[in-house]
Amino acid sequence: MTKLWLAQVASVMRLELKKSFFARRGLWIYLLAFGPALLYLIHAIDVTRDHEHRQALLKSHPVETSTLQLIEPRMPEEKVLALVGEPYQRDTFRFGRRQLATFTRLHYTDGDSDYSIGIVNGVVARIDRQDRCNVEKDSAIFATVFQFFYLRLAVFFGCVGIFMNLFRGEMLDKSLHFYLLAPMRREVLLAGKYFAGLFAAVVIFTLGTALQIAALSWHFEPGQVAAYMHATGWSDIASYLGVTALACAGYGSIFLAAGLVFKNPIIPATAVMLWEGINLFLPAALKKISVIYYLQALCPTVAAPESDINPLLRLLISSAEPPAAWLALTGLAVVTLIVLAVAGLRARQLEINYGTE
Amino acid sequence: MSGVSIGEGRVTFDNVSRFYGEVLGVNRVTLAIPPGITSLVGPNGSGKTTLMNLMTGLVRPTRGEIRVLGIPPDDSEPLGRTVGYSTQFDAFPRGLTGFQVVASFLRLFGYDQTTCGRLAGAAIERLRMTDAADRKVAAYSKGMRQRIKLALAIAHDPQVLVLDEPLNGLDPLVRAETIALFRELAAQGKHVIVSSHVLHEVDQISDQVILLSNGYVVAEGQIQGVRGEIQEQPMQVLIRTNRSSALASRLFEFDHVVEARLEEGGAAVLIKTRDSGRFYRALNQLALDGIDIEGVMPVDDNVNSVYEYLIGGEGSR
Ligand SMILES: Nc1ncnc2c1ncn2[C@@H]1O[C@H](COP(=O)(O)OP(=O)(O)O)[C@@H](O)[C@H]1O
Ligand SMILES: [Mg+2]
Repeated sequence: MTKLWLAQVASVMRLELKKSFFARRGLWIYLLAFGPALLYLIHAIDVTRDHEHRQALLKSHPVETSTLQLIEPRMPEEKVLALVGEPYQRDTFRFGRRQLATFTRLHYTDGDSDYSIGIVNGVVARIDRQDRCNVEKDSAIFATVFQFFYLRLAVFFGCVGIFMNLFRGEMLDKSLHFYLLAPMRREVLLAGKYFAGLFAAVVIFTLGTALQIAALSWHFEPGQVAAYMHATGWSDIASYLGVTALACAGYGSIFLAAGLVFKNPIIPATAVMLWEGINLFLPAALKKISVIYYLQALCPTVAAPESDINPLLRLLISSAEPPAAWLALTGLAVVTLIVLAVAGLRARQLEINYGTE
Repeated sequence: MSGVSIGEGRVTFDNVSRFYGEVLGVNRVTLAIPPGITSLVGPNGSGKTTLMNLMTGLVRPTRGEIRVLGIPPDDSEPLGRTVGYSTQFDAFPRGLTGFQVVASFLRLFGYDQTTCGRLAGAAIERLRMTDAADRKVAAYSKGMRQRIKLALAIAHDPQVLVLDEPLNGLDPLVRAETIALFRELAAQGKHVIVSSHVLHEVDQISDQVILLSNGYVVAEGQIQGVRGEIQEQPMQVLIRTNRSSALASRLFEFDHVVEARLEEGGAAVLIKTRDSGRFYRALNQLALDGIDIEGVMPVDDNVNSVYEYLIGGEGSR
């Protein structure tokens, strides 16, 4: 019996995979998945250009990093110039009545970082250093974009597009009877469609994650990348890929079920998005009825949204400790399985309703 | 189950109704369909497709019980092996050739690839579609799609074939071949249930006919029987009046009135008459004579009008 079911699941998957990867009007799914990688690539190109530019400036205005670090506040401008030479760029602003006061910025670079020395009334008033992107900085950016854009929007809507249509799309196409007439349990059909959708979603979105990481690390020196990889790199990457796949499994189950219940995808998508969005503010017990709660706990860097949230809103955040990894995995599995079980019950009741001809 | 002989070898409906919201699909259908060719005949919208969807498990009854050779239609595993359904829906999984459609449907049965190829090839051959088998279904003509659907229905050699308007869109030659196929399948002891909105299209080939109108089964049986039943059947009229016994006795004096019976606890009279024209004239006279008639309702005018429609052809759509 189980052997028959497995064979049937495989047959359904064979038929469904092509549809899942190349859904009609499904191009936007790829844009969501690969858009961020593209942006990181542009960022990387930008950073590389910038670096080359600074290297060129360094050639024409050579200066040592250690010398630049000798500049101190209150140092007179002449002393700065004697120490590190002419800047590659000098901006002078005049202000005040009759424009007597001046503010000057001297720009230096050691090839990596940009130093901007602010001079007021002939003495150093401030020193601004803009470092070249470093691994820590970029991985923090990545963590935030991953949690607040990629998981919550890209994978989320990608799953709406892929999974909602598994049943609903065939109802619209008037081709669902092809499956319903086969001697196959509805649960088996459901499993076949779910796994096909899951396979497609996981391939598309983990590839998206991988490409983002690749694009982001591309502009670093090989040495920097190797050092990061040696530290937490591999486990971070594995976590991000794993979390992406789990997001597909969790959201996939929800939108597979929604596609069995709702005709219009907007309604369930909006409802689930709101629910996931307010997760932060829910009491601990309700937090657990979600996907994002577990995904966030599994991300390697916990991007802290609390810091830039309005203090009034922050009061509303119920700070439950994020669950341990194994608990998060179990919780997510339980949520997914419950949703799939509900979908299975719905699938049993499923009827052809192609509308009146 | 009440009334119907369950008979393992039959497709049975026991007081089955199906509503789509407020819209009636079929109502109070009780049937026991034996093997052989059975035609479901009725105008568009009379409930043929609904009956077929019910017996194949694509929709569920609102009330009543259905068994296909003893199998409840929501038991999809045994039902799928027992029934082959050629639907009136023209959509197929996208991007497949005729052969791939049939073969991939068979894969869902759990057969291995070789078996699927062999069975699909045989079914397609039987419908003389071998030449077109490797073309995409999307490019098929109406007649070719009709035949690939039939191939899909017979490919796994089911005991019960449910074919929704299978002759639609076939040219005369293919139509004759297809009818021969139905006969062949029926001769093997299978159930071949065929629907049509044109009676003469199927009356020659059918072992029994089921006439449908507005969701009701209005007549059933062998075609000669159904014809006779309709033509000889006296018209029935229900008359509401507060002087029912007086009306009944007066009407019964006419020789065209076969029966006059009190109904609804004496509030109405049911009349069976063989001549509706004379009956209505007589009724008018009685009303003029002072019998207060509250309402007149033909009970089964239905059957006659459906039959007129089906054989008349002039209004066949
Ligand atoms: N999915 C549906 N939703 C609403 N009404 C339907 C649906 N399917 C059929 N009906 C209605 O049920 C009645 C019977 O339709 P159907 O079974 O398709 O008849 P037939 O096949 O004889 O043309 C019609 O009045 C039709 O409008
Ligand atoms: Mg129909």
